[in-house]
Parts: sequence; structure tokens; C-alpha cells
Amino acid sequence: MEKFFLFLTTIRWQDVVDISLNSYILFRFYVLFRGTNVFRVLIGMTVLWFLQRIAISLGLIVTSWVVQGIVAVGAIIIIVVFRNEIRRVLQAKNLKSILWGFSYKSAVTPIEIIADSVFEMAQRKCGALIVFPGKEDLSDVVQGGTPWRGLITKEMITSIFWPDNPVHDGAAVVQGDQIRVVGAILPLSDRDDLPSHHGTRHRAALGLAETTDALVIVVSEERGDMLVAKGNRLREIKQKRTLEQNIQEHVGTAAVKKGAVKKERLEITAAALLSLVFMTGIWFSVSRGQDTLVSLDIPIDYTNRNSGTEIVDTSVKSVSLVLSGSGALVKSITPDQVGVRLDLSKSVIGPNSFSITTENISLPPGIILREVTPNVIEVLIDETIKKELPIQIDWSGKLPEQLILVDSVSDPETVEVVGGKRILEKVVTIYTEKVLLDNLKGKGEITANLVLNPASLTIAPRSKDKVTIQYLIRQRE
Amino acid sequence: MRYRLYIIFCAIITIQLLFLLPIYPLKNMNAANGAQLKLFQALMCEEIFTNAPRNPTIVFSVTQKKAVCYTSFDQVPQKAFIYHNWFHRDVPSAKIRLTLKPPRWSTFSSIQLRKTDIGPWRVEITDQKGSVLGVLRFSVTD
Repeated sequence: MEKFFLFLTTIRWQDVVDISLNSYILFRFYVLFRGTNVFRVLIGMTVLWFLQRIAISLGLIVTSWVVQGIVAVGAIIIIVVFRNEIRRVLQAKNLKSILWGFSYKSAVTPIEIIADSVFEMAQRKCGALIVFPGKEDLSDVVQGGTPWRGLITKEMITSIFWPDNPVHDGAAVVQGDQIRVVGAILPLSDRDDLPSHHGTRHRAALGLAETTDALVIVVSEERGDMLVAKGNRLREIKQKRTLEQNIQEHVGTAAVKKGAVKKERLEITAAALLSLVFMTGIWFSVSRGQDTLVSLDIPIDYTNRNSGTEIVDTSVKSVSLVLSGSGALVKSITPDQVGVRLDLSKSVIGPNSFSITTENISLPPGIILREVTPNVIEVLIDETIKKELPIQIDWSGKLPEQLILVDSVSDPETVEVVGGKRILEKVVTIYTEKVLLDNLKGKGEITANLVLNPASLTIAPRSKDKVTIQYLIRQRE
Repeated sequence: MRYRLYIIFCAIITIQLLFLLPIYPLKNMNAANGAQLKLFQALMCEEIFTNAPRNPTIVFSVTQKKAVCYTSFDQVPQKAFIYHNWFHRDVPSAKIRLTLKPPRWSTFSSIQLRKTDIGPWRVEITDQKGSVLGVLRFSVTD
């Protein structure tokens, strides 16, 4: 229990936002794509991904490669193959409904009204073709048609298929309690075992049933008989009760139960909870996984140095950090995300000893510090002073045999240098960079930079960092 | 009146003598002790020829084998010692003791040049108390 509370204290507000945001994104994916083929394929892809992780953990190299390849190709396939379905889902909804809204499959199909209408049309020998889509998308299969979006009534069905109606030859597509499209053109079956009295309407019903999971009711104009096409079967229906059962089985129990909306709400709530659990699991595996170790050499950043002091020497320039975390997080670490800072505000002139603790180290979220080497840093702090030092020219190269450099004068002759007291006490001369003799003749003037050694020394603001050298060369006696 | 003037004159002379007498021996003492060494000339040269520096220079090639530091004093009150302190890149390399004799004296020291001596040099000329009388800077090159 104590461990659990300890764990709770390690969770940051960013972690809560991280889990909540991604859970919601996953949940919205479910809401938008449920009932579509895309969703089913996405579930398949997720299962494959889990299989790949298991294969990796078991050391099955080839298997993990193959599954990884399938997942990678699958992602492209989803976008290409289901582009229409994805487009339909996204186009059909506005931004608010994509981010927030829920579309309950609340519409209850009035089966009795449809069955009554169909029987009446059969008695009158009025031809009809009614489509009940399944879970598959029919937009690629059903061509043309006129959008209708009218509530189903007996009068409306009979009027659509009335012989004088321009759309009576096409199919009516039923969704929920609405007729969505009328006058739609269905693909024809090319089967040659159909009875001769079956016309184009029958072939159209069977053609759609063969290629999709839709149920199609067809009423013969010539014989007045009534048939139901599902899969590759075309069955004649004699009784109204049988027709009702067929439709009911196809549209599902949700269509007949009055508490369908309540059940769907429960389903969505369960999906939301599952999304949360799933994302929490992923968050744990990514951010709290401690399976990978990495060692980094990080330079120490000294901060809050007192004015008038400077760092003369340190026992080390960088520390070695052993970090652990999940493989994905450890691989994504860049050196600029890790920092070691040492606060020198409490340092004194002379040797100082600092212990490196977790407070001195900044790490990216989810990364745990395992070890610091060395964990104690010796820092020698010195008082900053100024010192006037003579400049000496560092000649190099060679003059011709008959010539000698008689004299040289540097301007300025001295330079003011700023640095640690202990260092500057030992420095007595500031040399120029190497000045080549080889090309010098007679008398002249050249400039040279000053070389500060050790590099911690700096030239005082008012002094020059270059000298002008006047030289005089004569013939050797 | 004359008598009074005489007394005043005597008093002034007495006061003056009282103030001036102690000064005279101090000045003399300073003159005796203050006759310090006076460096007249100091230079680096390639060689000494007939007691005089030849080819003064501030750059020596290691092929010349030798660098000479020449110093001349035009005021040597008594026998004394001076030092030629040779430094290579601020690191002491040689300390040569030289004797000076009154009233004027010239002397020199030299070092043998090797490949490892390439770089900037300086010679500090100090008296026997360590006071720096002069500094010469030169370079040894290829």
C-alpha cells in the first residue's frame, strides 16, 4: 500500500494529461469508425503489433521482421483500400461531431410497416426492390440513385414503387427508420442457374447480395411473388411472419429492442474505459519500463558563480550518468535533454567539494538516474585579479645567414590580464603568437595576436589583444 | 646697538649650525652607501670580440651554438657580484654569478644552444640582493 502511494507521488500532471488525451483520441477513433471495415482492420493491426512485441521479447527475429513488415504495409493498405470509407466518415461529420459528438444507431427499423407494404405490393403485382445494408459499405457497389432521407411509412414505400414514379425501377435503400436512397442501380448477378421467370430485378437483388452482406427484398412485377436475397441465396417468402423474421435477423436485435440506445451507451462507456485502460498500459510500458540502460558523459554546467571569482580547476570536466527507462524513451534521448548543473553560490575561495545528487541533474520524463560517476566533484575557486604583464615576441623561422634581427619594439609593451589570483601569480610574461622571420627585410612593422596560457586568462577590457611590432634587420658583421 | 647686532648674528649662526651640522654626516653617509651599481649597457650578442660585443641581436639560431649576454657597469663603488638569470619560457635555466670590480666593469655570460632551447628567452640581471637591474628578451629559433 505504501508503495502504491509512493508511486502516486511520482505521477506528474503531464502524465495525467498524456494518458487522458491519448485515451480520448483512441476513443474518438472508435466512435468514428465503429461498425466499419476500417475499424475491424485496425483491430487486426493492433493484434499484429502485439504479436510483434511478443516475438521480439521471445527473440524470434524473423517472425518479428515479418510481422513488422505486415504492419507497415498494412497501414498503407488501410489508407488506400478504405479511402472511401474513411472519407465518408470524415466528410459526413463536422468538426464538432468528430471531436465530441456521438451518433447512436438509434433508429429502429419499422419491420412491420415494411413487411405490410411489401405484401400489399406483391398482391397488387407492383414490382419493388428494397435493400437493407449490413455492416459493409455499399457506396462502391450501389450506383446512382436519388437521396431521399424520408421516414418509412406504408404510403411512402408503395408510392416509390408505383409504376408511374420515375424511380420505381431502381432500388430503395433502407437505413434505420429512413429510406436513404431511391432509384439506386444494383450490380447484376451473372449466374446462369436462375429460373427463366426471374427478371432483371431478381438478378439485381442477387447481384448485390452476392457481393456484399446486404439483404435485398424483391417483389416480382409479373408474378407478384416475393423473394429475399442474402449471400448467394434467393428464397421465396410466402408468409408475412417469415419476412419479418428475415428482416429482424438481418438488422439485428437492436432494431427491435426499445432499450437499444441504452445498450449502445453502455457499449460506448465500456469502449471509453477500455481506451483508458489500454492507454494507461501503453503509458506504463513506455514511461515506466526500466528494461534499457544507457551511459552518457555529460559536461558539468557551473552556475551562480560569485562575481570576482573564477573556476581555476575541477577534478573532472564531465560526469558519467547511467540512465534507465523503456527502450523507446532511452533511444530518443538527446544530449541536450540531459543536464548536470552545479550551483556555486555557496562556494568559497579555495578548494570546494560538491556532491552530485538528483537535484543537480535534469532528465527527460520517464528516465531514471541509476548511477553517477564520480559523484563528488572538486572545484578550485580563485579570486579574480588584474595584473599588468610584459609582452614578449615569440620569434620563429630563420633569417638569411648574413642578416640579424638587431632590435624590435612591441606596442604596447605590457598588457593587463584578468584571471585567478593563484594562476596569475605564476604568470610573468604574455607571449605573442609565433612571428615568422623568413620574409622580413630591413625595417618594418607587423602585428601579432597575444596568446593567453592558460586559456582561463582574459585580456582586461581596456587592453589590446594585438601588438604592433617594429623591427630592424641589419647585415651581420 | 653694534653689540646687539653682534649677538643676533651669533645667534643666527649658532641656530644654523645646530640644524645643519647633523645633516652633513648623513649626506656623507648616503654618498658612501648610495654609490650603487649602475648598469650602463646590457645587450644580447653573438660573441665577444676584443672585450666588446659583436653582432647584437634578439634572435639566435640554434646553428650559431651560442647566445651571449653582455653587461657593462660604469659605476662600481666596490667589488660586487651580479647574477645573469637565464629563463626559457619563464622556467629558470641557468644562474651565472659574475664579479664586478671598481670603478667600471664589463662582463658577460653565455649559454650553449641546443634544439630543445628553441623558444622565447629572457635574462634577468640582478645584484647580489636580488634586485633586478635589467631584463633582456630574445628568441632561439631553428
